[in-house]
Amino acid sequence: MDALLIEARGLNINFGAIPVLRGVNLAVPAATAAMIVGRNGAGKSTLVRLLAGLSAPTAGEAMLFGAPSRTLESAARRRLAIVTHQSFLYPNLTARENLEFYAELYSVADVRTEIPRWLDRVGLASAADARVRTFSRGMEQRLTLARALLTRPDVLLMDEPFAALDADGVALVADLLREAIARRCAIVLTAHQPIAIDGLEFDLYEIVRGRLLPLRGGAIGASLRAQSAE
Amino acid sequence: MAGFVAILRKDLRLELRSGESTIALIALSLLILVVLVFALDPVGGVRDAATAAGALWVAMIFAGMIGSTRALLAERDNGCLRALILSPLDRGALYLAKLAAAFIFMAIAEAAAIVLMVLFFNLDFDSRLLRLLPIIGLGALGFSALSTLLAAISGRIRAGDLLLPLLAVPMFVPALIAGVKASGAALTGASFGASAQWLKILIAFDVIFLATGYLLFEHVIGED
Repeated sequence: MDALLIEARGLNINFGAIPVLRGVNLAVPAATAAMIVGRNGAGKSTLVRLLAGLSAPTAGEAMLFGAPSRTLESAARRRLAIVTHQSFLYPNLTARENLEFYAELYSVADVRTEIPRWLDRVGLASAADARVRTFSRGMEQRLTLARALLTRPDVLLMDEPFAALDADGVALVADLLREAIARRCAIVLTAHQPIAIDGLEFDLYEIVRGRLLPLRGGAIGASLRAQSAE
Repeated sequence: MAGFVAILRKDLRLELRSGESTIALIALSLLILVVLVFALDPVGGVRDAATAAGALWVAMIFAGMIGSTRALLAERDNGCLRALILSPLDRGALYLAKLAAAFIFMAIAEAAAIVLMVLFFNLDFDSRLLRLLPIIGLGALGFSALSTLLAAISGRIRAGDLLLPLLAVPMFVPALIAGVKASGAALTGASFGASAQWLKILIAFDVIFLATGYLLFEHVIGED
């Protein structure tokens, strides 16, 4: 079995006296995608932040690449990408300049070819030199995807990546996810409800009252597609 | 090193586009100097070189607080600070890059403030100003080092903007006294020896603030 790239061991987090996540266990090896669904306020974004090491759990541990995610070494952080509700983009820089900045930060090779390729890939080639503050929410989300995947991560954490995207955008995310899985990336993504993507099977979970519960016994891509077709 | 350069270049590019920090710093410096000039303006009164040095440092401290806060606040838009924390960049390099940006903004404002000080306090544009430059540079470096660290702390808590001056000014007082004394000596044309001990204190505080900031930044900038 592949080594686990993303792992949660008994994660608990309270906001004040309110428990948000309780005893969350999750294991995602390479070339695997886990989809976590739940209502608004269920704790999906909190779980993504915990997995990324951006928040400290009350108890338990989040691990990436076999190491605690809060104390990841620089080399491991280079292999991680995250998409959240916040775009991590600078509004007063252009789309190209934002990607150039992150490419330099992550020492991406072949910047001259990679950045135009990614801008084209996410449908923003014609807006490459426009400042991000002029972008619609959907355009910003597309650029966010390019920002995250430009670095060819081995672990990808995505908090509601389909939000604000039109049908083409959803198809784009699906393509990008398939490519990432094909190069053995481990993915955790969240959504309000299960989303079927052809050619991808997700381990599906739901957060219910702070607990992470497997839905329909694990890999359910086929059943999801059947459900979608009904 | 590549990350340091990337962040500094990005900060300077953003500042060239908006001018937010530099304009605010210069405007605040101007305002403070004008207020002090009128406050200290009894006819034939106390507008001497030593007073001018004090006024310049007051302007520098208040302007510096804006510069440091802005340098880090810009990173909080759209969660960019989180992106930097998650990036492979060494957190010490992140601190140095934000410090360098704050220092550059502050140095530009100080250059403008020195010109205003000379005009407002009826001083001369002569070689004494050259002696002032390294003193002001050391002061700006120390204050940037301290306030960048404190801005990282205050940015994590509610009403942190109010906390920054409450923390920064008292901690900077020893360097402030040394800077005012050294600047006063430079502007009055006193011998180098007269300001040497104050310069040593200023340098010592710069080293302390830089080392402390570099070592502690990783711990104050971490998770939510």
